Amino acid sequence: MKILAFDTSNKPLSVAVVDDGKVLAHIESTEKKTHSVSLLPDIKKGLEQSNLTVDDIDLIAVAKGPGSYTGVRIAVTVAKVLADTLNKKLVGVSSLKLLATNGDKKHLLVPLMDARNDNAFAGVYVNNRDGRLLTVISDHHTSMKNLFETLEQYESQELEFINATPRLAELIQNHFPKASIISTEDSLPDAAKLSKIAETTPAVKDIDNFIPTYLRLTQAEHDWYAKGNKEDKNVSYVEEV
Amino acid sequence: MKKDTLIMSFESSCDETSVAVIKNGNEILSNIIATQIKSHQRFGGVVPEVASRHHVEEITHCINLALEEAKVGYQDLDAVAVTYGPGLVGSLLIGIMAAKTVAFAHNLPLIKVNHLAGHIYSANIVTDLQYPFMSLLVSGGHTEIVLVTAPGVFQTLGDTRDDAVGEAYDKIGRILGINYPAGKKVDQMAAIGKDTFDFPRAMVQEDNLDFSFSGLKSAFINRVHHADQVHEELNKNDLAASFQGAVLDILSNKTFKALKQHPVKQLIVGGGVSANQGLRKRLAQEIKERNLDMELVFPPLRLCGDNAAMIGAMAQIQYDKGDFADLDLNADPSLDF
Repeated sequence: MKILAFDTSNKPLSVAVVDDGKVLAHIESTEKKTHSVSLLPDIKKGLEQSNLTVDDIDLIAVAKGPGSYTGVRIAVTVAKVLADTLNKKLVGVSSLKLLATNGDKKHLLVPLMDARNDNAFAGVYVNNRDGRLLTVISDHHTSMKNLFETLEQYESQELEFINATPRLAELIQNHFPKASIISTEDSLPDAAKLSKIAETTPAVKDIDNFIPTYLRLTQAEHDWYAKGNKEDKNVSYVEEV
Repeated sequence: MKKDTLIMSFESSCDETSVAVIKNGNEILSNIIATQIKSHQRFGGVVPEVASRHHVEEITHCINLALEEAKVGYQDLDAVAVTYGPGLVGSLLIGIMAAKTVAFAHNLPLIKVNHLAGHIYSANIVTDLQYPFMSLLVSGGHTEIVLVTAPGVFQTLGDTRDDAVGEAYDKIGRILGINYPAGKKVDQMAAIGKDTFDFPRAMVQEDNLDFSFSGLKSAFINRVHHADQVHEELNKNDLAASFQGAVLDILSNKTFKALKQHPVKQLIVGGGVSANQGLRKRLAQEIKERNLDMELVFPPLRLCGDNAAMIGAMAQIQYDKGDFADLDLNADPSLDF
């Protein structure tokens, strides 16, 4: 099975073309480039390096978030349009789960993304005997304080925090001095690993309604609900005219 | 006989997701528009992050409807076109990524279209354009007088120095208790009311062709606040009529000043505010009174607001010139002519 996989959830960009587990092309970038500019040319380059055309691809795999809102939207838009327009299978994988592949298979893995003000997007994963990642705690947006409280029940296990910024690493060290920490620089998302997760993930059934996993409401919606407003099920907020 | 050209076009610069299929730049085979107005009304105006999220939700559905309604397949298309600016960057990017993906997947040339040029060329769908022609572009984001000297050649003669005209409508609409977009309602109220408040007509004495609406907006707000303080009841229809009266004087004054400098055979009005009935009547009346031998072209209401059909209309000109973009195309939120 030929898979085209890509991730632009955060600053790094990763594109891979993989055929039955064999990596045919692998394009990585950590430079501060604009994903909207690079993604399609890099996909094109990856296919050329693989001597494939986009028609040869069987499955599109995309990191669907959480992450930078704009970043995940870029990858998800390209993935859903590509799958829809060429009638290909589409698989969306958690961007945090992808980062968990950078951890030690024996540890309890906590991939993170710094969401500022000592908040983070985080999930908890563990590898099963076949080396497949299982979810222990679903991805969520949390304060680091709450995350630590949640993790205390697992303190007997070897905790490994993945993709920690210096600030998050400092907080983690203070709370769990024995935990391993992988810094942001050392835990780049790898689209080849994304393709591997995608092989065992069910395909998206309804491509039209496939959207990024933001894990947070927009500020405007948050404030609107806080004022006691409720979504009106009878109103279609977006309508064809 | 020249072969027909079919262009699939995308527009997502603000709060409408639109995909169209246009034949030869002047025939609409489909023009799907998904509007987010009801969503943003919850917040009293367009929230960029919410707009971007909606675009991702709508995009593939709009593409498929556009093909279905046009009764064509990807193999029938000659090019893909997309708005790359001006607009909200997060919104623009969804249309751009989608268009680039379709172009790449089906090996079609990509055309990057200026949103403002699209508004002007919406007229191409309803009339034969005669160069040079004048265009008045009035919307929530823009107020410009543009001389179009040849296909796709634009010369900006006047621009707004502060608020766009549609923006001013939304702001005074809020004072009158009208939710965004306020233009239509203010226009209706203005038709009933009388111009009694004598709001300032900014810059009409000046020789340049630029606009300013912030002084008018402030005068309006101050008048209403003053009345509130002294518990004076103001007639809202008269307020609307007085505001619109000033707006129409300003727009008309500058437009005809431009036409005097550059006599042309056509005046094209585009952008969301071109749906304004007061504006339509006023310009028609002025042309008649001034005895000008000139065609006044307003796009049909469906083509006044943001839509992809107008992007396809403009794209045809670029297609004919071989003006194509690459897959590294990015959004340009503050693009101008």
